[in-house]
Amino acid sequence: MVKGVPLAARIMAGVLIGLAGLLLLAPLVVVIGVSVSESQFIVFPPQGFTLNWYRAATTSPAYLSAAWISLKLALAVMVLATLIGGAAAVALHRRALPGSDLIGGLFLSPLVLPTIIFAIGMVMLWSQLFGPVSFLTLVIAHTVIALPYVVRTTLAVLADSDPFLEEAARTMGAGRMQRLFRVVLPQCMPGLAAGAFFAFNISFDEAVLSLFLRTPTLQTLPVQIYGQLEFSPDPTVAAVSTIMIIATILIMALIDRFLGLNKVVH
Amino acid sequence: MAAVELTGIHKSFGDVPVLRGVSLSIAAGEFVSLLGASGCGKTTLLRCAAGLESVTSGTIRIGGEDVTGLPPEKRDIAMMFQSYALLPHLSVAENVRFPLAMRRIGNRDEQAAMVRAALDTVQLTHLADRKPRQLSGGQQQRVALARAIVSAPKVLLLDEPLSNLDARLREDMQVELIEIHRRTKLTTLFVTHDQEEALSLSDRVVLLNGGQIEQQGAPETIYAAPQTRFAADFLGSANQIEVTIADGPGGPVATTAGGATLQLSADVTQRGPALLALRQEDLVIVAAEGPTAFPAVVRTRVYLGARCRYVLDAGGIRLVALTSTDCPLRAGDAASVSIRPERIRIIAG
Repeated sequence: MVKGVPLAARIMAGVLIGLAGLLLLAPLVVVIGVSVSESQFIVFPPQGFTLNWYRAATTSPAYLSAAWISLKLALAVMVLATLIGGAAAVALHRRALPGSDLIGGLFLSPLVLPTIIFAIGMVMLWSQLFGPVSFLTLVIAHTVIALPYVVRTTLAVLADSDPFLEEAARTMGAGRMQRLFRVVLPQCMPGLAAGAFFAFNISFDEAVLSLFLRTPTLQTLPVQIYGQLEFSPDPTVAAVSTIMIIATILIMALIDRFLGLNKVVH
Repeated sequence: MAAVELTGIHKSFGDVPVLRGVSLSIAAGEFVSLLGASGCGKTTLLRCAAGLESVTSGTIRIGGEDVTGLPPEKRDIAMMFQSYALLPHLSVAENVRFPLAMRRIGNRDEQAAMVRAALDTVQLTHLADRKPRQLSGGQQQRVALARAIVSAPKVLLLDEPLSNLDARLREDMQVELIEIHRRTKLTTLFVTHDQEEALSLSDRVVLLNGGQIEQQGAPETIYAAPQTRFAADFLGSANQIEVTIADGPGGPVATTAGGATLQLSADVTQRGPALLALRQEDLVIVAAEGPTAFPAVVRTRVYLGARCRYVLDAGGIRLVALTSTDCPLRAGDAASVSIRPERIRIIAG
């Protein structure tokens, strides 16, 4: 604790941090608890212990197909958002384009624009221009909302880097392509990795756009969970959610292992 | 044939002229310093030589070849940056190998040997596998130097490479740079704002002012014989006093506005109003006794350990003197200042 802070403020800070932790963790505890409960209904505290709901979840065709769609979608969004966002961040960092500030604002606007407004616009625009929505529609929509994260994380690492690296590489004989692959890309790498991680998670977790752009054959996992919860709630929903939580923690652990999250998230 | 030949270099950024017709020829193996205050154009001139800036007009030849229109990667140069610009994701050895790999110099084994030799030169062989961020500032600086000399470029461009080091380290590196230059014989263009650095390292000092060459010459010459008010002021921050020179009984005598007189050496032919440059270290201070040319009062005494700097008031003229021995005088003491006539410089401008 910082010295010189009044005791009352320190107690207050402790209470707030504790509360924040509780509010973040409590839902996870409830979900995990429900997922192993023997009860047919979603009740907490759990009654008994069973892994039946996990079996039901992992063998349900509806969940499996939704999970497959979500996974494909998240991977596609991750690749697209990283490519576009990374390139945009490099261009913005160099202020190479006229109106860099405006373009930068545009790239970050999905962060502040309500998703539901974007979703409505996307549905109307797409159906008018191209007809029925498809997997591609979802990829584009998710990429748009994932872009700000890639742009932000990549800009952050570029801001910290030595501005003379590329010039130095030129004086050492590196041509345009060599500079891109041996200087610029390695510099951006931590930011791109973090951005890719965010992009994957945002797409995998996204419900509003997926709900507006769903078709009977195009349901992502969050939409499937939502539908299940609305019409026939049973603990399989909790089991699926728990699997998603564990998957997220695993990905984070992997990134931390290979890149270091402290490097990635400032 | 000159190793580097800059002819009539003009460079403007928008409407702002930064270089106004600089011509400079550097012999093979020569160590030339570009010295000047910030904004004088010295870094811009270096960047033009590197190809990082295009010139507005003028030609640049390196090794006899006209490279004016060539980008830096097509010029046989190496440049060391103020920030060192080490590639953070590469090890020390990989950083030093980078120019060899980019310029396709030698096969892998030859490159490894060249990297080892360059790291030997800067005594960093034992840190070859470290990453730059694991090194101290001084070590990073040596890596940057090794990387600059490894490809034996036609010209080595150094942009204030010592300015980020602390005083102790900077002195060590100055000695090391002199020794490395003696061994490698690389043609070197060195940018600095530090006159001591320029004087101690170079074969030739080029003093830039306002985008033009003010004066150039060997360090001893340019230090001892500044030709302009700016040169006298910038090099060694000499005292400058307005005088009138007239014939006296024992040869020419300079008289200040306050009436103090200074005996000049007999070979001074100039008469009338002139500007004298008196180096701080040439002024001799003695306690005020007997007749003196320059009676003065000590205003401030700055103790520097080996030396002492006195700020004196000599009849309204502010004089700064640097003494090499003990410093008995204190602020407020009366003193007398003298200077050997042959040490007095008369500046035309």
